[in-house]
Amino acid sequence: MIEPLQLQAAAWALTTALELVLFALFLRRKLGRTYPAFFAYLLSVILQSLTVAALYRTPNLAKLTIWLIAWGTQGVVVLMRSLAIVELNRSVLRRYIGIWALARRLLVGVAVAVLAYDLALSKGNWQWLILNGIRGLELAMAAVIVTMLLFARYYRVQVNHLQRALAVGLCLYSAFYVINYSVLERIVQQYGVLWNFLGMFAFIASLLVWINGANQYAEAEEAAVPPAIPPELYGKLSSEVNSRLILLNRHLIQFLHVEHRSQ
Amino acid sequence: MSLPAILLVLFALLLVGLLAWALRPPPHPARPDVDVFDALRQSRHSSRLPHILQALLPQDTEYLRETGQVALMRTLRQQRRRIALGYLDQLQEEFEMLLEISRVLAVMSPEVVGMEEIERWKLSVTFAASCAFLRWRLRLGLQPFAGFTLLSNMAADIARELDAATIRIAEATVRASKHSAFGNENIDVQ
Repeated sequence: MIEPLQLQAAAWALTTALELVLFALFLRRKLGRTYPAFFAYLLSVILQSLTVAALYRTPNLAKLTIWLIAWGTQGVVVLMRSLAIVELNRSVLRRYIGIWALARRLLVGVAVAVLAYDLALSKGNWQWLILNGIRGLELAMAAVIVTMLLFARYYRVQVNHLQRALAVGLCLYSAFYVINYSVLERIVQQYGVLWNFLGMFAFIASLLVWINGANQYAEAEEAAVPPAIPPELYGKLSSEVNSRLILLNRHLIQFLHVEHRSQ
Repeated sequence: MSLPAILLVLFALLLVGLLAWALRPPPHPARPDVDVFDALRQSRHSSRLPHILQALLPQDTEYLRETGQVALMRTLRQQRRRIALGYLDQLQEEFEMLLEISRVLAVMSPEVVGMEEIERWKLSVTFAASCAFLRWRLRLGLQPFAGFTLLSNMAADIARELDAATIRIAEATVRASKHSAFGNENIDVQ
Protein backbone atom coordinates (compact mmCIF):
# COMPACT_ATOMS: atom_id res chain seq x y z
CA MET A 1 0.00 0.00 0.00
CA ILE A 2 1.30 3.48 -0.87
CA GLU A 3 2.14 5.63 2.13
CA PRO A 4 0.66 9.17 2.18
CA LEU A 5 4.16 10.63 2.23
CA GLN A 6 5.14 8.61 -0.86
CA LEU A 7 2.02 9.84 -2.61
CA GLN A 8 2.89 13.38 -1.66
CA ALA A 9 6.45 12.94 -2.99
CA ALA A 10 5.06 11.61 -6.28
CA ALA A 11 2.65 14.55 -6.52
CA TRP A 12 5.51 16.91 -5.80
CA ALA A 13 7.63 15.38 -8.57
CA LEU A 14 4.70 15.58 -11.00
CA THR A 15 4.04 19.23 -10.04
CA THR A 16 7.67 20.18 -10.66
CA ALA A 17 7.70 18.33 -13.99
CA LEU A 18 4.53 20.13 -15.12
CA GLU A 19 5.93 23.49 -13.97
CA LEU A 20 9.00 22.84 -16.13
CA VAL A 21 6.83 21.84 -19.11
CA LEU A 22 4.85 25.07 -18.79
CA PHE A 23 8.04 27.07 -18.39
CA ALA A 24 9.46 25.50 -21.58
CA LEU A 25 6.20 26.21 -23.43
CA PHE A 26 6.28 29.85 -22.36
CA LEU A 27 9.88 30.12 -23.56
CA ARG A 28 9.24 28.38 -26.88
CA ARG A 29 6.17 30.49 -27.66
CA LYS A 30 7.78 33.68 -26.35
CA LEU A 31 4.83 34.19 -24.00
CA GLY A 32 7.11 35.68 -21.38
CA ARG A 33 7.04 38.93 -23.33
CA THR A 34 3.24 39.02 -23.47
CA TYR A 35 2.70 37.89 -19.87
CA PRO A 36 5.90 38.84 -17.99
CA ALA A 37 4.27 38.83 -14.55
CA PHE A 38 2.80 35.36 -15.05
CA PHE A 39 6.16 34.17 -16.36
CA ALA A 40 7.83 35.61 -13.24
CA TYR A 41 5.19 33.87 -11.09
CA LEU A 42 5.96 30.58 -12.80
CA LEU A 43 9.67 31.12 -12.23
CA SER A 44 9.03 31.91 -8.55
CA VAL A 45 7.03 28.68 -8.18
CA ILE A 46 9.85 26.64 -9.70
CA LEU A 47 12.41 28.37 -7.48
CA GLN A 48 10.20 27.72 -4.47
CA SER A 49 10.05 24.01 -5.31
CA LEU A 50 13.84 23.90 -5.61
CA THR A 51 14.32 25.83 -2.36
CA VAL A 52 11.96 23.59 -0.39
CA ALA A 53 13.61 20.48 -1.89
CA ALA A 54 17.02 21.83 -0.86
CA LEU A 55 15.69 22.57 2.65
CA TYR A 56 14.58 18.96 3.08
CA ARG A 57 18.02 17.76 2.07
CA THR A 58 19.88 20.10 4.40
CA PRO A 59 20.40 18.53 7.81
CA ASN A 60 20.69 20.35 11.13
CA LEU A 61 18.71 23.43 10.11
CA ALA A 62 16.83 25.18 12.89
CA LYS A 63 13.05 24.80 12.72
CA LEU A 64 12.59 28.56 12.80
CA THR A 65 14.94 28.99 9.82
CA ILE A 66 12.99 26.39 7.84
CA TRP A 67 9.71 28.06 8.80
CA LEU A 68 10.98 31.50 7.80
CA ILE A 69 12.35 30.31 4.45
CA ALA A 70 9.24 28.25 3.65
CA TRP A 71 6.79 31.07 4.44
CA GLY A 72 9.09 33.69 2.94
CA THR A 73 9.09 31.90 -0.41
CA GLN A 74 5.32 31.38 -0.10
CA GLY A 75 4.93 35.12 0.43
CA VAL A 76 6.91 35.81 -2.74
CA VAL A 77 4.80 33.31 -4.70
CA VAL A 78 1.53 34.86 -3.48
CA LEU A 79 2.82 38.34 -4.37
CA MET A 80 3.84 37.18 -7.84
CA ARG A 81 0.44 35.54 -8.33
CA SER A 82 -1.26 38.81 -7.38
CA LEU A 83 0.85 40.64 -9.97
CA ALA A 84 0.02 37.96 -12.56
CA ILE A 85 -3.69 38.55 -11.89
CA VAL A 86 -3.30 42.32 -12.27
CA GLU A 87 -1.50 41.68 -15.55
CA LEU A 88 -4.22 39.28 -16.72
CA ASN A 89 -6.98 41.82 -15.98
CA ARG A 90 -5.00 44.49 -17.77
CA SER A 91 -4.34 42.31 -20.80
CA VAL A 92 -8.06 41.52 -21.18
CA LEU A 93 -9.44 45.04 -20.68
CA ARG A 94 -6.66 47.55 -21.44
CA ARG A 95 -7.68 48.03 -25.10
CA TYR A 96 -10.98 49.51 -23.91
CA ILE A 97 -9.76 52.58 -22.08
CA GLY A 98 -13.06 53.67 -20.56
CA ILE A 99 -14.07 50.18 -19.51
CA TRP A 100 -10.62 49.51 -18.07
CA ALA A 101 -10.73 52.70 -15.99
CA LEU A 102 -14.11 51.64 -14.56
CA ALA A 103 -13.04 48.02 -14.06
CA ARG A 104 -9.86 49.03 -12.20
CA ARG A 105 -11.88 50.85 -9.55
CA LEU A 106 -14.37 48.02 -9.29
CA LEU A 107 -11.72 45.30 -9.05
CA VAL A 108 -9.76 47.14 -6.36
CA GLY A 109 -13.02 47.62 -4.45
CA VAL A 110 -13.87 43.92 -4.75
CA ALA A 111 -10.38 42.87 -3.60
CA VAL A 112 -10.45 45.15 -0.55
CA ALA A 113 -14.01 44.16 0.39
CA VAL A 114 -13.31 40.42 0.12
CA LEU A 115 -10.07 40.70 2.07
CA ALA A 116 -11.89 42.66 4.78
CA TYR A 117 -14.68 40.04 4.79
CA ASP A 118 -12.17 37.25 5.33
CA LEU A 119 -10.33 39.08 8.10
CA ALA A 120 -13.61 40.01 9.78
CA LEU A 121 -14.65 36.36 9.81
CA SER A 122 -11.24 35.42 11.21
CA LYS A 123 -11.76 37.72 14.20
CA GLY A 124 -10.45 36.17 17.38
CA ASN A 125 -8.03 33.84 15.57
CA TRP A 126 -5.03 36.16 15.69
CA GLN A 127 -2.61 33.26 16.15
CA TRP A 128 -3.55 32.29 12.59
CA LEU A 129 -3.12 35.81 11.24
CA ILE A 130 -0.61 34.96 8.49
CA LEU A 131 -2.56 31.93 7.28
CA ASN A 132 -5.88 33.81 7.45
CA GLY A 133 -4.28 36.75 5.63
CA ILE A 134 -3.10 34.46 2.84
CA ARG A 135 -6.54 32.88 2.66
CA GLY A 136 -8.06 36.36 2.40
CA LEU A 137 -5.68 37.22 -0.42
CA GLU A 138 -6.52 33.98 -2.24
CA LEU A 139 -10.24 34.67 -1.87
CA ALA A 140 -9.74 38.24 -3.09
CA MET A 141 -7.78 36.99 -6.11
CA ALA A 142 -10.52 34.50 -7.02
CA ALA A 143 -13.18 37.21 -6.61
CA VAL A 144 -11.21 39.66 -8.76
CA ILE A 145 -10.83 37.11 -11.58
CA VAL A 146 -14.53 36.22 -11.51
CA THR A 147 -15.52 39.91 -11.46
CA MET A 148 -13.24 40.61 -14.41
CA LEU A 149 -14.72 37.71 -16.39
CA LEU A 150 -18.29 38.81 -15.56
CA PHE A 151 -17.35 42.34 -16.61
CA ALA A 152 -15.85 41.08 -19.87
CA ARG A 153 -18.94 38.99 -20.52
CA TYR A 154 -21.30 41.91 -19.86
CA TYR A 155 -19.42 44.21 -22.25
CA ARG A 156 -18.82 41.40 -24.79
CA VAL A 157 -15.08 41.85 -24.47
CA GLN A 158 -13.24 39.04 -26.21
CA VAL A 159 -11.17 36.87 -23.86
CA ASN A 160 -8.75 34.66 -25.79
CA HIS A 161 -8.07 31.01 -25.05
CA LEU A 162 -4.85 31.61 -23.12
CA GLN A 163 -6.39 34.40 -21.03
CA ARG A 164 -9.29 32.10 -20.18
CA ALA A 165 -6.92 29.30 -19.25
CA LEU A 166 -4.86 31.60 -17.04
CA ALA A 167 -8.02 32.94 -15.38
CA VAL A 168 -9.51 29.49 -14.80
CA GLY A 169 -6.28 28.05 -13.42
CA LEU A 170 -5.62 30.97 -11.08
CA CYS A 171 -9.22 31.19 -9.88
CA LEU A 172 -9.70 27.46 -9.31
CA TYR A 173 -6.45 27.20 -7.41
CA SER A 174 -7.34 30.16 -5.17
CA ALA A 175 -10.90 28.95 -4.57
CA PHE A 176 -9.67 25.47 -3.75
CA TYR A 177 -7.06 26.88 -1.40
CA VAL A 178 -9.81 28.72 0.51
CA ILE A 179 -12.04 25.63 0.69
CA ASN A 180 -9.16 23.39 1.67
CA TYR A 181 -7.86 25.76 4.31
CA SER A 182 -11.28 26.60 5.76
CA VAL A 183 -12.36 22.96 6.01
CA LEU A 184 -9.10 21.79 7.55
CA GLU A 185 -8.42 24.97 9.54
CA ARG A 186 -9.38 23.41 12.87
CA ILE A 187 -7.81 20.04 12.24
CA VAL A 188 -4.80 21.11 10.22
CA GLN A 189 -2.28 19.45 12.56
CA GLN A 190 -4.03 16.12 12.28
CA TYR A 191 -4.42 16.16 8.51
CA GLY A 192 -1.36 18.18 7.50
CA VAL A 193 -0.22 15.63 4.91
CA LEU A 194 -3.68 15.34 3.35
CA TRP A 195 -3.98 19.14 3.26
CA ASN A 196 -0.66 19.47 1.42
CA PHE A 197 -1.59 16.70 -0.98
CA LEU A 198 -4.99 18.23 -1.85
CA GLY A 199 -3.34 21.62 -2.34
CA MET A 200 -0.87 20.06 -4.74
CA PHE A 201 -3.66 18.27 -6.58
CA ALA A 202 -5.43 21.61 -7.18
CA PHE A 203 -2.19 23.12 -8.41
CA ILE A 204 -1.59 20.18 -10.78
CA ALA A 205 -5.07 20.78 -12.26
CA SER A 206 -4.24 24.49 -12.72
CA LEU A 207 -0.92 23.63 -14.36
CA LEU A 208 -2.66 21.31 -16.82
CA VAL A 209 -5.17 24.05 -17.70
CA TRP A 210 -2.32 26.55 -18.26
CA ILE A 211 -0.30 24.07 -20.35
CA ASN A 212 -3.34 23.49 -22.53
CA GLY A 213 -3.90 27.25 -22.92
CA ALA A 214 -0.25 27.97 -23.73
CA ASN A 215 -0.19 25.08 -26.18
CA GLN A 216 -3.19 26.41 -28.10
CA TYR A 217 -2.13 30.04 -28.00
CA ALA A 218 -2.11 31.87 -31.32
CA GLU A 219 -1.19 35.55 -31.70
CA ALA A 220 -4.05 35.98 -34.18
CA GLU A 221 -6.42 35.54 -31.24
CA GLU A 222 -5.84 39.13 -30.17
CA ALA A 223 -9.09 41.05 -30.75
CA ALA A 224 -9.17 44.14 -32.96
CA VAL A 225 -9.33 47.49 -31.16
CA PRO A 226 -12.76 49.10 -31.63
CA PRO A 227 -12.96 52.60 -33.14
CA ALA A 228 -12.98 55.33 -30.52
CA ILE A 229 -15.72 57.89 -29.94
CA PRO A 230 -15.24 61.12 -28.00
CA PRO A 231 -16.33 61.07 -24.35
CA GLU A 232 -18.86 63.86 -25.02
CA LEU A 233 -20.67 61.68 -27.55
CA TYR A 234 -20.62 58.74 -25.16
CA GLY A 235 -22.01 60.97 -22.42
CA LYS A 236 -24.79 62.25 -24.62
CA LEU A 237 -25.82 58.92 -26.10
CA SER A 238 -25.33 57.02 -22.86
CA SER A 239 -27.66 59.27 -20.88
CA GLU A 240 -30.27 59.14 -23.64
CA VAL A 241 -30.07 55.36 -23.81
CA ASN A 242 -30.40 55.25 -20.04
CA SER A 243 -33.47 57.46 -20.12
CA ARG A 244 -35.02 55.08 -22.64
CA LEU A 245 -34.15 52.09 -20.52
CA ILE A 246 -35.70 53.78 -17.51
CA LEU A 247 -38.87 54.45 -19.49
CA LEU A 248 -39.07 50.87 -20.69
CA ASN A 249 -38.53 49.66 -17.18
CA ARG A 250 -41.25 51.99 -15.88
CA HIS A 251 -43.46 50.70 -18.63
CA LEU A 252 -43.01 47.15 -17.46
CA ILE A 253 -43.33 47.95 -13.77
CA GLN A 254 -46.59 49.81 -14.42
CA PHE A 255 -47.79 46.79 -16.38
CA LEU A 256 -46.97 44.71 -13.30
CA HIS A 257 -48.68 47.11 -10.89
CA VAL A 258 -51.80 47.27 -13.00
CA GLU A 259 -51.94 43.48 -12.88
CA HIS A 260 -51.64 43.50 -9.11
CA ARG A 261 -54.20 46.27 -8.61
CA SER A 262 -56.80 44.54 -10.73
CA GLN A 263 -56.43 41.20 -8.90
CA MET B 1 -16.72 23.41 11.28
CA SER B 2 -17.38 26.96 12.51
CA LEU B 3 -19.91 29.32 10.91
CA PRO B 4 -17.22 31.69 9.51
CA ALA B 5 -15.47 28.75 7.87
CA ILE B 6 -18.78 27.56 6.36
CA LEU B 7 -19.44 31.08 5.03
CA LEU B 8 -15.99 31.23 3.44
CA VAL B 9 -16.40 27.83 1.84
CA LEU B 10 -19.82 28.84 0.48
CA PHE B 11 -18.35 32.06 -0.89
CA ALA B 12 -15.54 30.14 -2.60
CA LEU B 13 -18.07 27.69 -4.09
CA LEU B 14 -20.19 30.62 -5.28
CA LEU B 15 -17.11 32.03 -7.00
CA VAL B 16 -16.50 28.70 -8.75
CA GLY B 17 -20.14 28.68 -9.90
CA LEU B 18 -19.89 32.25 -11.17
CA LEU B 19 -16.64 31.39 -12.92
CA ALA B 20 -18.39 28.59 -14.80
CA TRP B 21 -21.28 30.93 -15.67
CA ALA B 22 -18.97 33.73 -16.83
CA LEU B 23 -17.10 31.36 -19.14
CA ARG B 24 -20.21 30.34 -21.08
CA PRO B 25 -20.35 31.79 -24.59
CA PRO B 26 -22.46 35.00 -24.76
CA PRO B 27 -26.09 34.54 -25.91
CA HIS B 28 -25.40 36.52 -29.08
CA PRO B 29 -22.17 37.98 -30.44
CA ALA B 30 -21.35 41.69 -30.21
CA ARG B 31 -22.77 43.82 -33.00
CA PRO B 32 -20.50 45.96 -35.15
CA ASP B 33 -20.79 49.71 -34.48
CA VAL B 34 -22.54 50.44 -37.81
CA ASP B 35 -25.40 48.15 -36.80
CA VAL B 36 -25.67 50.03 -33.54
CA PHE B 37 -26.11 53.39 -35.22
CA ASP B 38 -28.71 51.89 -37.55
CA ALA B 39 -30.48 50.26 -34.64
CA LEU B 40 -30.69 53.55 -32.77
CA ARG B 41 -32.51 55.17 -35.65
CA GLN B 42 -35.06 52.38 -36.04
CA SER B 43 -38.58 52.83 -34.74
CA ARG B 44 -39.50 50.86 -31.65
CA HIS B 45 -42.18 48.25 -31.01
CA SER B 46 -43.02 49.75 -27.65
CA SER B 47 -44.35 52.89 -29.36
CA ARG B 48 -47.21 50.74 -30.64
CA LEU B 49 -48.21 49.62 -27.18
CA PRO B 50 -51.27 51.90 -26.83
CA HIS B 51 -52.77 50.36 -30.00
CA ILE B 52 -52.04 46.83 -28.79
CA LEU B 53 -53.60 47.56 -25.42
CA GLN B 54 -56.59 49.20 -27.06
CA ALA B 55 -57.30 45.86 -28.69
CA LEU B 56 -57.15 44.15 -25.31
CA LEU B 57 -59.93 46.07 -23.56
CA PRO B 58 -61.75 43.89 -21.00
CA GLN B 59 -65.24 45.04 -22.04
CA ASP B 60 -65.02 42.80 -25.09
CA THR B 61 -64.78 39.62 -23.06
CA GLU B 62 -67.35 40.76 -20.50
CA TYR B 63 -69.84 41.34 -23.31
CA LEU B 64 -69.29 37.78 -24.55
CA ARG B 65 -69.86 36.40 -21.09
CA GLU B 66 -73.16 38.26 -20.80
CA THR B 67 -74.34 36.84 -24.14
CA GLY B 68 -73.43 33.31 -23.05
CA GLN B 69 -70.56 32.78 -25.49
CA VAL B 70 -68.12 31.53 -22.88
CA ALA B 71 -66.13 29.33 -25.31
CA LEU B 72 -65.53 32.28 -27.60
CA MET B 73 -64.58 34.40 -24.61
CA ARG B 74 -61.99 31.79 -23.59
CA THR B 75 -60.56 31.67 -27.12
CA LEU B 76 -60.30 35.45 -27.17
CA ARG B 77 -58.61 35.50 -23.81
CA GLN B 78 -56.07 32.95 -25.01
CA GLN B 79 -55.38 35.07 -28.06
CA ARG B 80 -54.97 38.14 -25.88
CA ARG B 81 -52.59 36.28 -23.63
CA ARG B 82 -50.53 35.40 -26.66
CA ILE B 83 -50.58 39.05 -27.76
CA ALA B 84 -49.50 40.19 -24.31
CA LEU B 85 -46.68 37.62 -24.28
CA GLY B 86 -45.63 38.72 -27.75
CA TYR B 87 -45.61 42.32 -26.59
CA LEU B 88 -43.46 41.36 -23.60
CA ASP B 89 -41.03 39.63 -25.95
CA GLN B 90 -40.78 42.77 -28.06
CA LEU B 91 -40.32 44.96 -25.02
CA GLN B 92 -37.54 42.72 -23.79
CA GLU B 93 -35.96 42.65 -27.25
CA GLU B 94 -35.99 46.45 -27.33
CA PHE B 95 -34.53 46.64 -23.85
CA GLU B 96 -31.75 44.19 -24.74
CA MET B 97 -31.01 46.08 -27.93
CA LEU B 98 -30.59 49.31 -25.93
CA LEU B 99 -28.34 47.50 -23.47
CA GLU B 100 -26.29 46.15 -26.37
CA ILE B 101 -25.98 49.68 -27.75
CA SER B 102 -24.91 51.05 -24.39
CA ARG B 103 -22.26 48.31 -24.11
CA VAL B 104 -20.86 49.13 -27.52
CA LEU B 105 -20.79 52.83 -26.63
CA ALA B 106 -18.98 52.10 -23.38
CA VAL B 107 -16.45 49.88 -25.16
CA MET B 108 -15.80 52.61 -27.76
CA SER B 109 -15.53 55.49 -25.32
CA PRO B 110 -12.24 56.46 -23.64
CA GLU B 111 -14.24 57.63 -20.61
CA VAL B 112 -17.07 55.70 -19.01
CA VAL B 113 -19.40 57.19 -16.42
CA GLY B 114 -19.53 54.67 -13.59
CA MET B 115 -22.87 55.86 -12.23
CA GLU B 116 -24.60 55.46 -15.59
CA GLU B 117 -23.17 51.98 -16.04
CA ILE B 118 -24.27 50.99 -12.52
CA GLU B 119 -27.71 52.45 -13.23
CA ARG B 120 -27.91 50.25 -16.33
CA TRP B 121 -26.84 47.13 -14.42
CA LYS B 122 -29.55 47.82 -11.84
CA LEU B 123 -32.13 48.49 -14.55
CA SER B 124 -31.26 45.34 -16.45
CA VAL B 125 -31.64 43.22 -13.30
CA THR B 126 -34.97 44.86 -12.38
CA PHE B 127 -36.26 44.56 -15.92
CA ALA B 128 -35.25 40.91 -16.30
CA ALA B 129 -36.89 40.01 -12.97
CA SER B 130 -40.13 41.90 -13.74
CA CYS B 131 -40.29 40.48 -17.23
CA ALA B 132 -39.83 36.90 -16.02
CA PHE B 133 -42.48 37.43 -13.32
CA LEU B 134 -45.01 38.91 -15.75
CA ARG B 135 -44.39 36.21 -18.33
CA TRP B 136 -44.92 33.57 -15.68
CA ARG B 137 -48.20 35.17 -14.60
CA LEU B 138 -49.44 35.45 -18.16
CA ARG B 139 -48.56 31.84 -18.96
CA LEU B 140 -50.44 30.66 -15.90
CA GLY B 141 -53.44 32.63 -17.07
CA LEU B 142 -53.50 34.85 -14.00
CA GLN B 143 -53.85 38.02 -15.99
CA PRO B 144 -57.09 39.92 -15.61
CA PHE B 145 -57.94 42.27 -18.43
CA ALA B 146 -59.52 45.01 -16.33
CA GLY B 147 -56.24 46.82 -15.89
CA PHE B 148 -55.50 47.24 -19.54
CA THR B 149 -57.50 50.44 -19.95
CA LEU B 150 -55.49 52.18 -17.30
CA LEU B 151 -52.31 50.74 -18.74
CA SER B 152 -53.26 51.94 -22.19
CA ASN B 153 -53.51 55.53 -20.94
CA MET B 154 -50.21 55.30 -19.15
CA ALA B 155 -48.57 53.66 -22.15
CA ALA B 156 -49.58 56.53 -24.39
CA ASP B 157 -47.68 58.97 -22.13
CA ILE B 158 -44.65 56.74 -21.97
CA ALA B 159 -44.66 56.18 -25.72
CA ARG B 160 -44.56 59.95 -26.21
CA GLU B 161 -41.56 60.23 -23.90
CA LEU B 162 -39.88 57.31 -25.64
CA ASP B 163 -40.40 58.96 -29.02
CA ALA B 164 -38.80 62.15 -27.75
CA ALA B 165 -35.83 60.19 -26.41
CA THR B 166 -35.54 58.30 -29.72
CA ILE B 167 -35.47 61.54 -31.68
CA ARG B 168 -32.72 62.95 -29.46
CA ILE B 169 -30.66 59.76 -29.85
CA ALA B 170 -31.24 59.70 -33.60
CA GLU B 171 -29.98 63.29 -33.94
CA ALA B 172 -26.78 62.44 -32.13
CA THR B 173 -26.24 59.13 -33.92
CA VAL B 174 -26.81 60.57 -37.40
CA ARG B 175 -23.97 62.97 -36.70
CA ALA B 176 -21.79 60.19 -35.29
CA SER B 177 -22.44 57.74 -38.14
CA LYS B 178 -21.71 60.46 -40.73
CA HIS B 179 -18.31 60.94 -39.17
CA SER B 180 -17.62 57.24 -38.84
CA ALA B 181 -18.40 56.79 -42.56
CA PHE B 182 -15.18 58.68 -43.33
CA GLY B 183 -13.19 55.91 -41.75
CA ASN B 184 -13.18 54.23 -38.40
CA GLU B 185 -11.17 57.00 -36.82
CA ASN B 186 -12.17 59.16 -33.90
CA ILE B 187 -15.62 60.70 -34.20
CA ASP B 188 -16.02 64.36 -33.43
CA VAL B 189 -19.04 65.89 -31.81
CA GLN B 190 -20.29 68.98 -33.54
